[in-house]
Parts: sequence; C-alpha cells; structure tokens
Amino acid sequence: MNWKLPFDIPLVTPTMGIPIEFYDALGIIVFVVHISFIYVLIGASTASVIYNIFGAVTGNKTYDKLAYKMTNPTTISENMGALWGVAPLLVISVLYTGFFYTAIIKVSPHILHIVYGNIFAFLLSYAYKFSWHKLQDSKGFHIAIGVVAVLTFYTLPPVFMSMTNLYLQPETFAYVQTIWDIMLTPLTGFRLLNFFLTAFAFSGVFMIWYGMRLQKEGEKDVGELAVNQGKKWFLFATPVNVAILPLILFVFSPRIAEGLMGSIFIVLPFLASLVLFALYLYLLKRWNQNCFSSKELLSAITLMLVAVILMATTRHGIRVVSFEEPLALQAKATESFMQASLAEYKKYKENLKNAPQKDLSDPAVLADEKGCMGCHAVDMLLVGPSFQDVANKYKKPEEFVRSLLEGSEGKWGEIPMPVQALSEEEAHKLATWVLSHKKD
Amino acid sequence: MFDYPIFEMPVIGQRMLMAINAIIHVYVSHGGAVGGSVVLALLAIWAHKRGDLAAYKMTFKVLMVFFIISTSVGALTGIGMWIHANILSPNAIGGLIRVFFWKWFIEWIVFNFEVVLLLLWFMTWKKNELTPEGRAKSNRLGIYYAIASWLTMVIITAILAFMLTPNFEGQPWVDPEVFPGNVDYNNALFNPTWGPSLAFRTFSSIAFAASLAIMWTWIIGTFSTNPEDKDAKPRMIKFLATIMVVTVPLGVVFGYWYLSVIPDSALSMIPTAMMTREFEDKFDLMYTIVIGVGIVVLLTTIIAYFSPKRMPYVAASAMVIAFLVFWGYEERVREFIRKPYIIYNYMYSNGIRPTDVPYLNKVGVLKHATFIEDEKKIINEEQSNIVEVGHSIYLIECRICHTDNGINGLKSLTKGWSKEAIAARLNNLPGGGTPYMPPFVGTQEEKQALAAYIHSLNVQGELK
Repeated sequence: MNWKLPFDIPLVTPTMGIPIEFYDALGIIVFVVHISFIYVLIGASTASVIYNIFGAVTGNKTYDKLAYKMTNPTTISENMGALWGVAPLLVISVLYTGFFYTAIIKVSPHILHIVYGNIFAFLLSYAYKFSWHKLQDSKGFHIAIGVVAVLTFYTLPPVFMSMTNLYLQPETFAYVQTIWDIMLTPLTGFRLLNFFLTAFAFSGVFMIWYGMRLQKEGEKDVGELAVNQGKKWFLFATPVNVAILPLILFVFSPRIAEGLMGSIFIVLPFLASLVLFALYLYLLKRWNQNCFSSKELLSAITLMLVAVILMATTRHGIRVVSFEEPLALQAKATESFMQASLAEYKKYKENLKNAPQKDLSDPAVLADEKGCMGCHAVDMLLVGPSFQDVANKYKKPEEFVRSLLEGSEGKWGEIPMPVQALSEEEAHKLATWVLSHKKD
Repeated sequence: MFDYPIFEMPVIGQRMLMAINAIIHVYVSHGGAVGGSVVLALLAIWAHKRGDLAAYKMTFKVLMVFFIISTSVGALTGIGMWIHANILSPNAIGGLIRVFFWKWFIEWIVFNFEVVLLLLWFMTWKKNELTPEGRAKSNRLGIYYAIASWLTMVIITAILAFMLTPNFEGQPWVDPEVFPGNVDYNNALFNPTWGPSLAFRTFSSIAFAASLAIMWTWIIGTFSTNPEDKDAKPRMIKFLATIMVVTVPLGVVFGYWYLSVIPDSALSMIPTAMMTREFEDKFDLMYTIVIGVGIVVLLTTIIAYFSPKRMPYVAASAMVIAFLVFWGYEERVREFIRKPYIIYNYMYSNGIRPTDVPYLNKVGVLKHATFIEDEKKIINEEQSNIVEVGHSIYLIECRICHTDNGINGLKSLTKGWSKEAIAARLNNLPGGGTPYMPPFVGTQEEKQALAAYIHSLNVQGELK
C-alpha cells in the first residue's frame, strides 16, 4: 500500500513509564464522559424545542414547563461536553500526533466550524434559555431561536466525525483532499446514524432519571411527563441502532475490517447491540409506567452506560488494529530521517569549528558578514543600488554613512534602506570600501 | 513544516487567521474569566459585607454577561487556539504537547473546577441570594471559582513563557542532537519569564476586568427600569475603580519586571513588532501608544473614582478600549519578538528545526515533503515546472508569515525586484534588515525555484 504519513515528533512520548494500557483506558473513560454529555446536549436541546412547540400548539402548560426544564441540562452539558472533549484529544494527540494533526489539516478550514459554529450555537442556546419569560408572548420567534440553535448543534458532529474517520484510517491521507471526500462516505453516514440514534436513546434514559428527580422535588406533572416521554425517545430510536451496529465491519477499509475480524474487538459491537436490545425489552415492559423505583432506574442507566462503553471500546479497538502498521512505518521513517539529519548536523558543527577565523578587518568579509550582499552587489542593481552607483554618487564616506546607521528612504527609489546593526567604526570602514568601487 | 499536508489561508494569511482567534481569546480569558472571576467575587463580597442588597442583586446581572461570554466565546476560542496552532504549525504544537502533556492535563483538571464552580455559582445565585447564609455560601463559590480561574492562567503562561525563553544555556531543556529527544520537564517549566509574565498578566487582567465591569455596570444601571439598580450603579463603579487604583500600578511594576528579563535579541524586535518595518527605527510612536493608553486609563480611573455618578459613557468605554488596544498589542509583541523562532533556539517560525538545516540544505527541503506531488517538487529538464516547484517551497517555508498577494504579500514586498535580487536576498537571510526572518532552507536549485516563483508574482501574463 502507498502510505503518506508525516514523521513522528522527535521527542520522547511522556508516558512517565506508565504502561500504554493506562493511556488507552484513560482515553476511553474521558471519551465516554464527553460523549455522554454530548448525547444529553443533542437530546435535551432537541427535546426542549419539541416540547416548546407542543406546548404552544396544544396550550398545555406542562409541556411548556418541561421544555423550560430541559434548558438546564442543555446549559450544563454544552459546557461540560466541550470541556471533556479536550481530554480525549489531548491523549490522542500525544500518542498519535502525526495522524491526528494530519487529519485536522486535511479537513481545514471546515474544522474551524467546531470553534466558530459552536460559539454561534452556544450564544443562541443562551438567548433561547434566558429570553424564555420575556418572549412568552412571541412564541414563534422564541421557537425559531431554539430551532436554529439545535440545527447548528446538529452541524457539528458531521464535521468532527469526518476528522476522526480520517485519522482512524491513515491510509486515506494519500487520497483524501477535502472534507467532503471523507464526509460523503458510508463510514461517516453509518457513524452519524449511530451517533444520533444513541444520542436520542441516551437522552431518553436521561429524561427518565430527570423526571424521577422532578417528581421527588414535588413537580409531579412535569416529572411524569418527562419519564413518559423519555421512554418513548429510547424506544423509538433503538431498534434501528440495534440492527445497524453489527454492520460496522462493512464500513471501514478492508485492511481495518480484516484486522477487526482477527481481534477480540469484533465481539464488542454485537455485545453493544445485545445490551441495547435488552434495555429495549426492559423499557417496553414498563410502557405504561410513569414512575420508576431507584432499582429500576439504576438498571436502565447501567445498561445504557454499558452499551456506550462497549461502543467506545470498539472505537478504541479500531485504533489498535488500524494504527499498528502505520505507527511502525512512521517510527522507521522518523528514525532514518533523524539519523541522517543529525549526522549532517554534527558534520556541519565540526566544519564550523575547523573553519578559519573570519578576518573582519577586511571590509569585503565584513560586508558579507553584515548581510550587505543580500540587497547589494558590486556591479549590478539588486534590491538596492550597486556599489558602483553609490560610489559615483558620493565623494566622501561622511555623506552616506548615516544611511547605514540610521537607514534612509527616497534616495534610490521606493525601497528604504533599513537600519543596520553596525558600530560607527564599522560603518566608516564599509562606506570607505564602497567608495573604492568608483567607475568612470 | 515539510512533512505535513498544507492548508493555505488566502488573502489574510495563516498568521492573521490565528491572530483573530488569539486576540478574541485573550480579551475574553483575561478580561472575562481570570480577571472577571476575581473582580466579580470581590464585588459580591463587598456588596454582601456592606449589606448592600441592591448592589448584590446587580452584581448578578453583570455576572450574567461575563458568564455568557466566558463560557461560549472564551472557552471555545481556547480550544480554537489548539486547532489553529495545529493547522498553522503541527510540529510546534506537537512538540509542545510532548513537553507539556501532564501540565496540560493538570490544566484540564483545573478547568473542570473552573467550569463546574462557575456553573454552580451562576445557576444557584438566585436561590442563594434570599438569605445572608445563602449569600455567604454563594460568595465562597465565587472565591473558589476565582482561584481555579487564576490557576488555569498559571499553567498556560508557563507554556507561553517557555516558547520565548526555554532554558537553553547551560543545562538545556532538551539536547537537540539526540534522537529521540529526552526532555527535562522541570527545566522546561521553570523558565526565566514564567514568574514575571504571570505576575504581570494577573494584575493587568484584574484591572482590565474591572474596567469591563465598570462599563457593564454603567450600561445595566443606566438602562435598568429598576430604580435600585440606578442607585447602586455609582457605588459599584467607585468600588471597581478602587480595584483599578490598586491593580494598575502593580501591573505596571510587574510589566517592567517582565520586560527586564526578556533577552536582548528578542527585545530589539519590539519596535518592529509594534508596527511594521517602516516603523522599526521609530521608538517614539511606540512610546506614544503606551503613554496614550496609560493616560486614558489614568484619567478614566480618576473619573470613575471621584465622580462615579456623573461618569459619562464615553469614559467608561474609553477605559475598555484602552485595555483592548493594550492587550491586542501585548499579544502581538509577545508573538513577534520570538521571531525568527516559534520555540526559541529549537524551531524556526516555519516549523523547521535548526538542527535539520544542514541535512535539508544537502538533500532539499522538498525531498521529504510527503504530501506534495512529484511534479511539484522535482524540477524537470526543461525547467518548465520551476515556478510550481518554487510555489511548493513557498508553501513550506514562507506561507506561515506571508501570503502571495494579500497581507504581508510577497508580491508587493518584492515589487520591482529582479530574479537575481530575490535570490541574493534569499542567500542572506535573516540578513541586515530583517533579523526576524529564518534562513532559507534547501538546495541551490530550490533557492532558484523559489526566486522564480516570487518573481513570477509580479510578471504580467501574456496572451497566447
């Protein structure tokens, strides 16, 4: 295969002697926390807008109340989701520097949408939340703000996932030129579908928990509505998710699919699918139940989290099988480049040491040393005038020595002569030397 | 750097793309989060201690503005710094993360405290406001938030200071002649400008935040329909002005200390950094700006302190504008004086390490340019692709600071230069007039190709 990979960073990886498995586990854990917040963000912000519309259309105040309640988890999860997104990237970027950074550059400038699009969505979601009571009488406008905020949030995963799909498959570096080459692939489509379905299912479980909390705080109506709706979110989103998870083998490149087949990680998506199916049956059995005991709640949350952890570990498994070959190739290439480079550098330093001392009393050597020849030549116009022309213009060095020391402008055209780092004595020596090039 | 794919930002260039994000981030992180947390916590404590409930209630309204801006614009441009740095210079940021991974991880843990405490403080304020015990509890959250906020600055300042003044003399932070480079992490952390720059940033951030709080107090107090808010406005402005009276002089003192520890080679770039090349010998203008900013801050602080009730909006906003000018320049200068390096003495601003230069001069900088097609890196026999090859070198070595015909465009910089003049200039970098430019790296053929490309920018096309 024709690989295109950057070199590794030639500094030791700061693992502090801790085995690599620690970093793998760390990466999975911080990612699970991050993605859980993001699931809630997507679900809660969507739910808030939907129930706001329900409330406005039906005039049912409980829907409106639930919609407003859902802005709190939105605020918390957008802040925490962004924050916990940093940690997995930090781990990845120190372990797989070349792949991660190559992918980011390949999807530029679109990847900046993660920054600026996110700011836009944040500000709109705050506007939506904090204008709730003020815009009580202009629901249409208020809902419009919410819809634009949610739709903006929805544009972020496609961009970000394109980047991760690129870096997960380093073989694509050789031919992917823009973000669209990776975004419009079955892999990104598959992962987006899985992401949104899981987000809605996860948010459903979250709403059941949130509803029970509200019920305990004495807000019975809203709490029951939240539990009731939460179940539906999970039950509607999950069947397709259960069905598609095992298809993961068909969306990655043949090299990775082959690697997955030969590794233990291949059982994980099937397990995740089974766990989700179990939770599906569990909640379906409680279709008419708007109150969950703590034990039931704990079971539902545990099953959901196990499913998410299994999916996150699958993702890690893909990294393991995908990166083995390119990491080895990269290490070899980096080693030979650095050895050749450092050998040449040592030779250069040796030559420098053995080189004869420069005779700076010779004005020609001094001119070279001070960079004069970067802009001037003896007999031809470069950036600045030739020394012959200068010599023909001035009679005595005193007439232009200030131009060397303080710079000058307008004497020879538009380009100014910059100030030079010279002593008075050096400037005089150079000026005298320049005058020696007089030509008749 | 040559071994990564290249993203070229047209017209505004890479530097400006990053600068936009960086300047916004500095404004919000220094004025909103770090300084803002301290100022708002002090304001809440002050109002509570005096039993001034009107001021306490209005502090929340100011906090709401700070909360919205810090958590959205501030936090995301912070992540944005990383992504922009990645696009601009993957080798530099990759190296920095290898050196500072654990510090950045600690920074992230501190960020957790900062964000959680801010969310708690903000979202429970209304509930806590009702009783004195509640207010005391709320104020404690504010103090913890301010401490966490400041700690985030402590760590990131170490990394910025490292880029300007890594310990390279005597006991270096890394031996660049060894592969893989064995980093002395503590040596990298405890670098000479960390302490002074942190002290300077701390107090000037608090002063900046106080000026922002004065402006928002002015706006909210003036336009509020609640007479209590109007009443509380001058009292709050006076207190905030007191904070400025204390922190501005401290910022100046520590700023002077910071300036005094910056190496001379970097200091000599300051006049150019403030303006452009044309101003490099005009120290006067730099002083005019510094003195102008100082006078504006001084006058507006005096007005805010002695006449908070009649303070005009012009004064409140002039104060903020002076700080915006100040921080904008401070960041530009700090970034500029590091030139021609991005990590001092270790990596040039275009991502090439000085230790790689002899080798690349021998084999060519394009030899290992993995992501550039062969026909754009090897000059053919007829030399018909020499301009394309030159363009590839431009993308690797020049693009970080220059554009072709936009900001700092090579086209206007070399207008009227012959090909020989350009080649001679490339021969002598950094050179007499441009100490901030890294040397040309590559073979003689590559140098000719780059000269041909730069020259072609000013050559008119022809009709065939």
